[in-house]
This record gives sequence, C-alpha cells and structure tokens, in this order.
Amino acid sequence: MLADVDLSVQIGALKLPYPTLMASGCYGSGEEFAPLVDLSKLGAIVLKSVTHEPRLGNPMPRLVSTPAGMLNAIGLQNPGIDWYLEHEVAKFADRPCAVIGSVAAFSIDDYVYVTRRLAARAEIAAIELNISCPNVASEGETFACDPQLTRNVVAAVRDVTAKPLIVKLSPNVTDVAAIAVSAEEAGADALAMINTLRGMAIDVHTRKPRLGNVTGGLSGPAIRPVAVLAVYEAAGAVSIPIIGQGGIETLTDALEFFLAGASAIAIGTANFTDPRIPLRIVDELREYLQNRGLGSVREIVGKANVGISSPFQYEGDEG
Amino acid sequence: MLDEPLVRDVRVLDRTELAPGVVLIGLYAPHLVMVTKPGQFIMAIPPNGERAATALAIYEAQGERASLLFFVTGSRTRELAELRPGDQLGITGPLGNGFSLPADGAKMPRDVAIVAGGVGIASVLLAAQLLTDRGARVRLFYGARNVDFLIDRDRFADAGCELCCATDDGSFGYRGFITELLAHTPDKPELILACGPTAMLRATAFVACELGVPAQLALEETFGCGVGGCWGCVVPLDRKSPQAPKFPANPKDHDDFVYARICKEGPVFWAHELRW
Repeated sequence: MLADVDLSVQIGALKLPYPTLMASGCYGSGEEFAPLVDLSKLGAIVLKSVTHEPRLGNPMPRLVSTPAGMLNAIGLQNPGIDWYLEHEVAKFADRPCAVIGSVAAFSIDDYVYVTRRLAARAEIAAIELNISCPNVASEGETFACDPQLTRNVVAAVRDVTAKPLIVKLSPNVTDVAAIAVSAEEAGADALAMINTLRGMAIDVHTRKPRLGNVTGGLSGPAIRPVAVLAVYEAAGAVSIPIIGQGGIETLTDALEFFLAGASAIAIGTANFTDPRIPLRIVDELREYLQNRGLGSVREIVGKANVGISSPFQYEGDEG
Repeated sequence: MLDEPLVRDVRVLDRTELAPGVVLIGLYAPHLVMVTKPGQFIMAIPPNGERAATALAIYEAQGERASLLFFVTGSRTRELAELRPGDQLGITGPLGNGFSLPADGAKMPRDVAIVAGGVGIASVLLAAQLLTDRGARVRLFYGARNVDFLIDRDRFADAGCELCCATDDGSFGYRGFITELLAHTPDKPELILACGPTAMLRATAFVACELGVPAQLALEETFGCGVGGCWGCVVPLDRKSPQAPKFPANPKDHDDFVYARICKEGPVFWAHELRW
C-alpha cells in the first residue's frame, strides 16, 4: 500500500482538492461536461468570461485547426452580467467542484462593476480577471500588455472583492515577468498564464482569412513551450501561485509546468480531444508522486534543474 | 462516479470501405442503440491523441451495433479509417438534438422528402427507417458527385424509400443538383429533412420556402468540444426560435438573430428560422 499523496493546492484563501483547473472558455459552465466526466474529480472550473453588456460574439468561422493546435475567435459571446446573475449563477451551486468566475471588460470601470457584482455571489469561489482576450476589438488585450495598466486594473478590482483574485496574463508581451510583478504588487492572489497567442490563418484558394474575425488566439500543444517559459520567468519574479496553462495534454506536459514553477495547471483545448484527460492526469500525477515517495505536488513546484552548468558552457554562452 | 458516462471506449466490430475513401465502421455500442435519435452524432476521440475529436453522424443503430459512415477528408478521418475490428475507439455521445419527428403516430407526416448530399446520407438512414416503419411515404432525394458515391442506396430502397438520384456527371439519375429535382417534384411533401454540404442545405431551404413546406436541416460544421462548452460552432438563428439561446440582445447590435451552437442547440434547425 503506497502512502497517500496531497494533491491539494492553495489559491489565496481557496483550497482546491486537485491542482487541475478547467480553462476559461473551454468548459462552458461545467454543465455541458457533467454527463461526460465526474466533475467532483476536477480542481475547479473557470467559467466562460462574462462582460457588462451582452455580446453577440464573432461571425463564423470561429475555430480553425492548425498544426498541433487550434486558432479560435469566439469574441466573448455572453449574455451580459445582469442576465447572468439572474439566470445562470444560481445553477453553479450544484457543481461538485469549485467554480471560478471569469470577468472580461474594456475599461477599468467595467472590470470593477462586473467583478463587484459577480464576486458578491456565494456560488463564485474566486474571480479570474481576463485582461488578455485577443479576440475582441483592439482594447481587449491592452491591459495585460502594459505593467502600469495591469497594476491599475488589478488594484481597482482588488478594492471591491476579498475573494481570491486570479489575473490571467497574455503571452503577447515583451517582458511577462514585469507584468506578473505588477499584478502581484496590486494585490493579485494568483496568476493564470498563458492566454492564447495571437495568430492568423489564410485559405490560399479563396485568399480569405480562415477566421470570421480575421485574427484569433492560438492554443494547444503548439504554444506549450511559450507557456512553460512564461511560467518559468514569472515564477522567478513573484511569490504568488501560478496556474500554468497552454497545451497540456498529458502528465508529462503537466510536470513541465510544475517544474517551471506552476502550483496548479489548467486544461483547455485538450478537453476537445478527450474529456477524460483532466482525470487521467490527476490519476497519473498521484501515481508519479507515490512512486517517488513524494508527499505532495508542492514538492516538485519550481524544481526544474536549471542551475547546473555543463563543463562545456562558457561565460556569456547561453545557447 | 457517473453511472452512464456519455464518454466511453467501445470495440470496433467491423470495417468496410464502401467506395474509395468512404468508410463504414461498426461499433459494439448497445448504450448508443438504446437512446440514439435520428440525426444525432458522436464525437470520435482520435486513437493517437494530438488532435481534436471528430463529429460523426450515427448511421445505423440496431441490436448491439451502431455504425459510423464517413468520408476520409483529412488527417483525423484518415486515422479513424485505419481502425480495424477489435480496436478500441473512444466516443462521446449521442449528442445534439436530432430530427424533430412526432412521437405518436397520429401526428406523423404521411409524405416526407429526405434530401441528402454526399456524406450527408450518414445522418438520415435512421430517420428514413423510423418514418417508413410508421407508415409514411418517404422519398430520398440523393445527390453525389458520381454513381460510385451514391453510397448504400439499396439500403434505403430496402427500408421502403422511393429513390430520386442526381449526380454531378450524370453517371446515375438526373445530371445536376438534387435540389433541382426536389424543386420540380409534382407531389409536394409535408415535411423535408436534409443533410449535406452547406450549399445544398441553403438550396433546400430556398426550395422548401418556394414549396411552402417546413424543412429541418442537419448542419455540418467543425466542432470544438461538441457538447456546447466552447461556442466555436454557431449559426445565426432567429431570436424568436424556441431553439435560440435566451441571450438578451445588446442594443448596439440591432440584430434580430442570436448565435446558436450547432452542436448543442442543433445540429438540426428549422430552415425558416436560420438567418444565414
């Protein structure tokens, strides 16, 4: 009989039994997946983002398969916060796992407004601030691309909720560590990284963009190395937990993120391949830790072995 | 634990290539046979991972066997076409709403036209069988590029359907579009069901409108999750449709439509409610 291992993870005041979150936008409200998999085996579900006003969403096509990944441009289709609070949120009480609300907006006022109203509901365990959606008119991603704007929006939202605040960062920046530091200093409890990479695909026969929105966000295994690096760089600069995400499909992928410094992981696109993947990763992670005599997942967080130089490495040689 | 999870591994019973690049795979899936409605689909999990699952219509459902009929069009379907009897295949389903057919005999339409183009035939066999079983006259308007791709048409004749065929090259039946045959049919059906390429569905919607006959269209699209979680497969639908998501309109949009998920609210929609 192998010793039991502790798979729990702490995100601010929120304790999750498993370190696996379902990434925002990929899992609906969880209801859609309830007949498929046992939701009580998930760490948490991050809901699809909600905005102040209702949003129609982008025209089709909204999804395009690309090598080792997928481009999407859904356009934050959602019913707006009023309708959402009235008709949707009460249903989340039935979910057998934590439910994290996701807030998107185009101004600091709207981030504050939506967060204040959503976070006031008991069904919502934490708030993820989506300041990095690449698929809406230009201003959508601006916040996560500038350390000062990140600081301003996170600080403003911090003032209106005591619930755990997760800030979702964009990879489409020069220095993600500087933005991570801004979010931490402004009061974020955790970081989710990364959102999708901006991308585009063109049908060479019709010469038309393959997405209705022209540009989109790239996800899937194609972006995994970018995400691992972003987590690694941010983990070196902040002390709040990081939820690593970007193309995680297997235990090996998940371990990369833990070793790079993520305290938890989120699974998005892989649910479209096989909805059983999140459960499989948890089972395999437990077995991996047991086999190595490790008591908890925390023992591997940030333990990438990057400090030892080879005898053939010279000063200034980083290649 | 879920007692009856919609996602599970099933065994491949048989595999037949009905025409070049057209594959029929039989599955041991009594759970599907029990509950599948005509026009529903499954998501087939790629045997080697790495790619998104593929939506495939449930072609046959009898006894303990359900089958999938598909054209090999890309890497995902190629991988599925390599399955052999004894292999395991992960499937999620049945999914989607399926065709809306009256449950009781009294309301059953007596004369139904089913329009199928190419691989669209895979979505309509169950509907044809159910309708003929209940005594309806069913005419299958079946179009394909040539006679080799008029797949399994004897099956429909055996089920009691009258066949009207069209091919692009005239190698069998009428030379031209199948919707032209439908438009010129002397006796008007009470109901039209259709599945096929988008251009054929649009033409069917037009013809149905001209004839004044209600039509249900089973749409084909590339799905993300297949269960309504990602909002990646949508179609503009009249806000007043009972199938429309109950989203409030944004006053800035000035639109009378809302995007409905093809995988969740559909894949079958009433032609007159689509705003495409």
